[in-house]
Amino acid sequence: MATFFGEVLSVYSRAVEEDDDDLDDENEDERIHREIEEKREVHIVWCPEVAQSLEDSGSNTLQCSDLIIAVGTNAAGFLSAYVLNTESWDAVGHVSLWNERSRGSSRQSIAPLPGEPACLFYRHRDNPAVLVCQSTCYIAEDQLFQWTEKVFGCLQKRGLSVMVLSDSPVAEYKTPDYLYGSAVPFLRSLKSSASKGQALCPALEQPNILTGLPAAVLSHCQVHQIPAVLYQCYTDVISPDSITMETYKPALLCLSKLVKLEPCLSADVLRKFAIITEAQSNLYT
Amino acid sequence: MSMSYDRAITVFSPDGHLFQVEYAQEAVKKGSTAVGVRGKNVVVLGVEKKTVAKLQDDRTVRKICALDDNVFMAFAGLTADARIVVNRARVECQSHRLTVEDPVTVEYITRFISSIKQRYTQSSGRRPFGISSLIVGFDFDGTPHLYQTDPSGTYHAWKANAIGRSAKTVREFLEKNYKEEHMESDTDTIKLAIRALLEVVQSGGKNIELAIMKRDESMKILVQEEIEEYVTAIEKEKEENMNIF
Repeated sequence: MATFFGEVLSVYSRAVEEDDDDLDDENEDERIHREIEEKREVHIVWCPEVAQSLEDSGSNTLQCSDLIIAVGTNAAGFLSAYVLNTESWDAVGHVSLWNERSRGSSRQSIAPLPGEPACLFYRHRDNPAVLVCQSTCYIAEDQLFQWTEKVFGCLQKRGLSVMVLSDSPVAEYKTPDYLYGSAVPFLRSLKSSASKGQALCPALEQPNILTGLPAAVLSHCQVHQIPAVLYQCYTDVISPDSITMETYKPALLCLSKLVKLEPCLSADVLRKFAIITEAQSNLYT
Repeated sequence: MSMSYDRAITVFSPDGHLFQVEYAQEAVKKGSTAVGVRGKNVVVLGVEKKTVAKLQDDRTVRKICALDDNVFMAFAGLTADARIVVNRARVECQSHRLTVEDPVTVEYITRFISSIKQRYTQSSGRRPFGISSLIVGFDFDGTPHLYQTDPSGTYHAWKANAIGRSAKTVREFLEKNYKEEHMESDTDTIKLAIRALLEVVQSGGKNIELAIMKRDESMKILVQEEIEEYVTAIEKEKEENMNIF
């Protein structure tokens, strides 16, 4: 077809059926999308006992009164040192997923190795309604919804209460005041509206926001009216560090009502969970 | 915090901050503690020794550096930045000697170091030096001095001061315990520096390195046994003070 400006445009004729070629292309696109979706799917792998309990319950859910989620290496280290150290906890499952930053799980059924970034579930032996989840691997934005749906889908909503501990770099904390060195690390809290009772530290001020797994969990709890409280720890250290882990101590008050905790932790035990980068790093003297 | 004013060193924020310089102060806090005390006849620098890796030669991990026969300094912050500053200062000390046939005064070399640091806060494409330093020594007329510099290029004279990780705690201790009359005694001056460091150093005397300079003598780094002697004496005094009450 000739146009006003002298160029020639090719025009698709509606008389001719060109669908056959297009169909193949679409199929290929669809196939690729489906493959990517399958690769990025989030799988929860429970241990045999828990899988059995899930089957035995009519609704495929576990009875859970308290879910404690630790997101980040310092939060996970705090739970390991103060809570999971008492040896009355069993590892009951893990989440396996793949994304560009967490390539671990081509082996879905095998549990992640200790020290690897992973998402692990623990249950207390004497009080099996208390579940702890330590998440140190990166969960991509498109996988967050699946993660929360699948994890909360396995838990009974009634009587459930959630606590989230999460790490964040202090560089992302927005405040008009200058932060003095001695103030860091510090805690801020956020609650769902179903959560009654006082949080143990000041609430997170505007315009600060949560992102990632803690945000997804809290949003889910808000939507489904589950009481949830989140403690965000702002720290200036990149690697797991014992001082940052100790900042979560106020949360012990709530936890001690549920389970027996390590009463007085020696600094050496904490340091075991902190990466000893000091000796190797010669950047600062 | 206005994040867009972080980027270029030469830009003031609307409220008058030079954020890069302030962030450089944070880098200083990542270095281990150093304390300096100026006595009447002796100047003392004490540092918290870093844990050295097993295979590392610990003679190459030095926080205290001699700049000339009459001046030495300790730093806290980025190791590499300190090396550059120390090298330039050492060259300047010798250049001064050759030009005017006199050793530098402590104030002169401190001003020189501070001018270098300030220049790096006012050039584009460069970042400030991430170190603070404590410079001590004697002028050729025998006056002792202690100066502190920081990444912005300011310097001040002090009777006693601390830099690095727990500087605030150590400085408060010094303010409480510094007594002018004790500074007449070399032992008491050295003990004040060690006591200040013991407030913040883990596992006591073996993580402390101390350097002293007496008038008309060169810098001396104390060996571990000498430090332990002082630490034992300090602990004894503490016990005696406890028993009085």
